[in-house]
Amino acid sequence: MTTVGKPEVNEKKRVDLDVPMETSTGMGLDTVAMEAVDLNAFYGKFRAVRDVNLSFRDKQITALIGPSGCGKSTLLRTLNRMNDLVPGARAEGEVRFHGQNIFDASVDPVELRRRVGMVFQKPNPFPKTIYQNVAWGARINGIKKDLDDLVEHSLRQAALWDEVKDKVDESGYSLSGGQQQRLCIARAIAVKPEIILMDEPTSALDPVATLRIEELIQELKVNYTIIIVTHNMQQAARASDYTVFLNMDPDRAGYVVEAGTTGALFTNPAKQETEDYITGRFG
Amino acid sequence: MTEFRSLFHSELNQLEVLLLDMSELAERQINDAVEALLQGDAELAHQVVLQDLEIDRLYVEVERRWHEVMARQTPVASDLRLMSLVLQAGHSLERMGDQASNIAKIVEATSTLPANRTILLHIREMRSIVVPMVETAMEALVKRDLNLALRLPELDDPADWLNRNMWKEVAACASNPEMLEWAIHMMLVSRALERVGDRAVDIGEQVAFLLTGEQHEFPEGWVPASGTV
Repeated sequence: MTTVGKPEVNEKKRVDLDVPMETSTGMGLDTVAMEAVDLNAFYGKFRAVRDVNLSFRDKQITALIGPSGCGKSTLLRTLNRMNDLVPGARAEGEVRFHGQNIFDASVDPVELRRRVGMVFQKPNPFPKTIYQNVAWGARINGIKKDLDDLVEHSLRQAALWDEVKDKVDESGYSLSGGQQQRLCIARAIAVKPEIILMDEPTSALDPVATLRIEELIQELKVNYTIIIVTHNMQQAARASDYTVFLNMDPDRAGYVVEAGTTGALFTNPAKQETEDYITGRFG
Repeated sequence: MTEFRSLFHSELNQLEVLLLDMSELAERQINDAVEALLQGDAELAHQVVLQDLEIDRLYVEVERRWHEVMARQTPVASDLRLMSLVLQAGHSLERMGDQASNIAKIVEATSTLPANRTILLHIREMRSIVVPMVETAMEALVKRDLNLALRLPELDDPADWLNRNMWKEVAACASNPEMLEWAIHMMLVSRALERVGDRAVDIGEQVAFLLTGEQHEFPEGWVPASGTV
């Protein structure tokens, strides 16, 4: 991923793989899991996200950072058309997933959201048992066989199995906040997504539960591409492979200032705007 | 521009001030150590050894504050690079103090031996090269001046040349065993001054890293990829 600038300085171009980047797996260059191309997102007449061009790398963790209101969450929710559910919300441009624009009429948004799952800011388990929380998504997707195995596998991947294996028939609400968030991650995993979008997944958690989720995210990237919105810059620095910094224009439209490896962005950002923001000289 | 981390940046400024205090002391120590040698002034040499305790104390203070800032403020970007500079430049300045102290101890150890005028002139010339180098390195830091930092290797060349050729002056003393003993000690003085020059170059490299984000030993003719020179 390289930098994408404001259109008026004519730097708008899709970030691609011409820049060698180290990967945490040491496997060389990664492939692209999803691409945003000239993406704009609107709420009615208000443009919340402007001209975003980004490539998200497969089985890597990409963090979206930026000030409140810069469109991080809007961008995230656009990537699996979750924003379709918001009245007045619309998107222009493309988000390419397996070569197809997710906004094409032929794309089933429900199937898209199965393949591009989401974990929200606050843990939101259903008022059902731990088992039913995890099995729910699989059931509505028509999976009926081997549900026990699926639930166990998902809970193991979410690093929750050892804590709940003897009480899967208890309510999801009986768990702590951190456990509930891992339950939600297990629920997302159970429908076998390829990409997991996380919208400030630890903002409601204490520091220990936060670190636990960050560890879990590292484990999950072996199997999933993860895109995470976080207000916590240190979390982005700790937990992600790539970081995208968004800022907003005076008209409050969010745009990408800079994107790159997390190590480079936090030690030597290419743009002064990024430098000012991450060092607290912002305004 | 709104400053949201004024306390943190004030702490960074204080660390820079401590470095400047250290550099002033280091420069004075080097000057005095060589002056003690030139004048055969054992008392001045003794003062230099004592002054080294002050520069050591300042370095301990730099380290203590450095760890506290790292633990509490988690600096990033240019702030992180400045923190890297503070620690490494602090170490370089502390080592300069040690080199001055070493020279002063040699003055004390060789006070009864006959000196050689050519060698003394040689050492005085080295001092006139390396002490301004320390000033230049610190000025580059204070002014955030990459061009000044990049000049340091060129300034260091004459000191390296003088150090490499010191053995010839020493060999010329071979006919007088006592003067030879003194001259061999002067090779150590020459080496100490050459190291001061190298440390000044190291600080210049840190300044360049601070300003460009590029980590380099200064090779001759190095131009940052960012092309900011």
